[in-house]
Amino acid sequence: MAYIELKDIDAGYVKGSPILKDFHLEVKRGELISLLGPSGCGKTTTLRTIAGFISPEKGNVIIDKNDVTKYPPNKRNIGLVFQTYALFPHLSVFENVAYGLKRRKVDKKTIEEKVKKVLNLVSLTGFEERLPANLSGGQRQRVALARSLVIEPDLLLLDEPLSNLDAKLRDEMRAELSRLQHKLGITMIYVTHDQIEALSLSSKIIVMNEGNIEQMGTPKEIYEKPATKFVAKFVGFDNILTAKFVECDEKNTAIVSVGENKLKISREQHIDIKSLNEGDEINILFRPEDTRITKDKCENSIQAKLNYANYQGNSSSYALSYNDMEIRAITENIEIQNSKDIYFAISSDKIIIEKK
Amino acid sequence: MKKSKFLIFIVALAVIFLIGPFIIIIVSSFNETAVMKFPPKGFSLQWYQKVFSVDMFKTTFWISLKIGFFATIIALVIGIPVAYLNVRYKYRGKNIVELIFSSPAIIPGLVIGFALLRYFIYVAQVPITVGLFLGHTAILFPYTVRVVSASLRNFDLSVEEAAVSLGSSPIGAFFRVVFPNIQAGVVAAFILAFITSFNNVPISLFLTGPGVSTLPIQMLVYMEYYYDPTISALSSIIIVLTVLIVQAAEKVLGISKYM
Amino acid sequence: MNPLKSKKTLLLLAGPGFIFLLIFFFLPLLYVLIESFQSDVGQFTLRRYYDVISDAQFKLVFIRTLRMALIVTPIAVIVGYPCAYFISKLSAKKKSILTTIIILPLMTSPVARTYAWIVILGKFGIVNATLTALNIFAEPTRLLYTEGAIIVGLLQLFMPILILTVSSSLENVNSEVEEAALSLGSNRIGVFFRVVVPLSFEGLIMGITLVFTGCFTAYVTPAILGGANVLTLSTLMREQALVLMNWEAATVIAVLMIITTLIIYNGIRAFKPRNM
Repeated sequence: MAYIELKDIDAGYVKGSPILKDFHLEVKRGELISLLGPSGCGKTTTLRTIAGFISPEKGNVIIDKNDVTKYPPNKRNIGLVFQTYALFPHLSVFENVAYGLKRRKVDKKTIEEKVKKVLNLVSLTGFEERLPANLSGGQRQRVALARSLVIEPDLLLLDEPLSNLDAKLRDEMRAELSRLQHKLGITMIYVTHDQIEALSLSSKIIVMNEGNIEQMGTPKEIYEKPATKFVAKFVGFDNILTAKFVECDEKNTAIVSVGENKLKISREQHIDIKSLNEGDEINILFRPEDTRITKDKCENSIQAKLNYANYQGNSSSYALSYNDMEIRAITENIEIQNSKDIYFAISSDKIIIEKK
Repeated sequence: MKKSKFLIFIVALAVIFLIGPFIIIIVSSFNETAVMKFPPKGFSLQWYQKVFSVDMFKTTFWISLKIGFFATIIALVIGIPVAYLNVRYKYRGKNIVELIFSSPAIIPGLVIGFALLRYFIYVAQVPITVGLFLGHTAILFPYTVRVVSASLRNFDLSVEEAAVSLGSSPIGAFFRVVFPNIQAGVVAAFILAFITSFNNVPISLFLTGPGVSTLPIQMLVYMEYYYDPTISALSSIIIVLTVLIVQAAEKVLGISKYM
Repeated sequence: MNPLKSKKTLLLLAGPGFIFLLIFFFLPLLYVLIESFQSDVGQFTLRRYYDVISDAQFKLVFIRTLRMALIVTPIAVIVGYPCAYFISKLSAKKKSILTTIIILPLMTSPVARTYAWIVILGKFGIVNATLTALNIFAEPTRLLYTEGAIIVGLLQLFMPILILTVSSSLENVNSEVEEAALSLGSNRIGVFFRVVVPLSFEGLIMGITLVFTGCFTAYVTPAILGGANVLTLSTLMREQALVLMNWEAATVIAVLMIITTLIIYNGIRAFKPRNM
């Protein structure tokens, strides 16, 4: 049963036409889903439409079976966490967190209890009297979180909340968010352009592009089985080689040729295989992380020239070129004598075919 | 570096040119004799005493003060919403709205005063004080809107949205969250507007009458008849007060940011 | 910035101000405009304009006012621009001090500010005293109540305005851009004219507009330093209106002032760089 539903939405007008057109979205209760995509794809528009800051020209927003389309944002009981934290600079941590409760006319004693409880939850006990200016980035983010959690919202919306934090802090906060979500069971919609964030946090990812949902699935599905070229490129299928289609059998095993090399591609479903005939020009896409370097020929290998290798500690990044096409491989450190007789290989289930 | 020395020289000249006259007038206000002489002979406070004894200076000082205060308040009450509108939203016709509210700064003050005289005083028979008040208020709009806008622009819109998402009405959010954080800008606007009104001549010139006048106008009238350093003394008082206010405003609010 | 959805909000926020200006600002101006085209019996006529424009005194005064504006503006730019540049390079604290000093003439009552020049330029004032002592003048000369005196007074008022507007646009000129130019071989003066000036051009245009229109419409300075002998457009208008009670002429002069100001405003702004 959908807990949050966007039905038939037209919203987010830029230069006369809406970013979201006839848009549908369903979220189950207790899910942490991420809206993932590049800037301008409509993920923030979706969030703001759910929150009520954008009024759709057409369509309905339904939360827990209530149609809230006509409700202003202050009547929707939604928690919002912003990229810039948006703390009230003139109020203390306590007053910031208490703000929503005050608007709901909660009595003083209950406010004190609830604020203390939620500050404890985000490990900020003792910070009640501090002003936002005297908090670190991570602390501010936690206050923002506490402020929206304390009102016990139906839904928590987060708009790239971690992008202003440094890498280490981001990791910590991500773990924190995950922990909180599991503990409280609160439905969360998380907007990000960072695939790693989406993959590590969510139970479900929705990849968006130009106002459309490209794919909706678990992190594993998105990462390993991208349903469209866009999603594939977004989750890191960065290597592109021109090839020629040869054939595909009933078991969905395709053969393509890259120069004289024949490559076998076997996937449950190919993205772009209908109406391909032998000899048609195609692109094949694969990840640098899935690209192995071998000294000798093997299945699905292609001979290439090594340009340079970058040592990265645990692994190395290799830049290769084949027929004027650049390939990158990120794999274990290998001793390489000369740069000519190098082969790179990709497993048959880790390649995607793209029509030209 | 050669250029730096030359530059410093020009700046020094400019500063002397801009500030020198003030120092000279302050010094000359202590002159013993009535003749406008510099360097002054002797030392006397008689002109300062005279300033406080002239009735018309005292009455018009209070009038200028009251007009300035109330005109500024109204200009703020009307101007802050306009500033908010134009900083937060984009809409068709925004350019026209901005133009309308800055037009009192474009039209020469003299013309505004004259127009008010012809229309309100002569035709509509409005009392002079009211006309004076209205004229001053109108010319303060560009100042209040501009300065408060500058302050609002630096304020993160998300904070307002956070307040609304937590249950505050938009108006409530403005008063509880936005206003406390733009107070410095509002005070800066107040000071700027008040000084502009207090010092104004073009509007007040046409809108004076029996018993109604402003301090600058009275100073001009005085100068037409008397040539003694009384005006020097009064000017010196004004100059020192202005310096103190501007300095205080700069220290506390950083008013130079808003100019 | 969000798009404005509700017309109600627009009315609520801008409505009161708009109504206020309509009644107490635009209407009176409209009245004056209409009046200037009216004959004694209320018919449309251009007679008044003809009378004023063909008047010898008016022509003299108008040209004089224009001339003064044309003299003050370049001087304000030539002296003020380097000052603004100098200020922009200072540390925040020094910048604030110097800016406060520069603002002072603007914030001080114009009467007080202009009166100082009476003391300085008067017969027994400091300028005359120094110049006769140095034997440049044989005897104290009349410096007051001349065009020169007005020009000096206007400069003291308008140079700060130019410095301020240019300063704020200079804030946008990154010093790294200047350093890049230097490293590429330009000398300091070249950098100034080829990099700094073009990048702060918009502020300069705004400043020139304010100074020029300001000079044209200034009242207190010419009133005190020019007196009844050296009239400018503003003092002429006041004389016609309040002394001679010649409302018809005053109305026409008022409208001409508005028209000239608007022409200057839009004319100079045509020089605004369209794209940076």
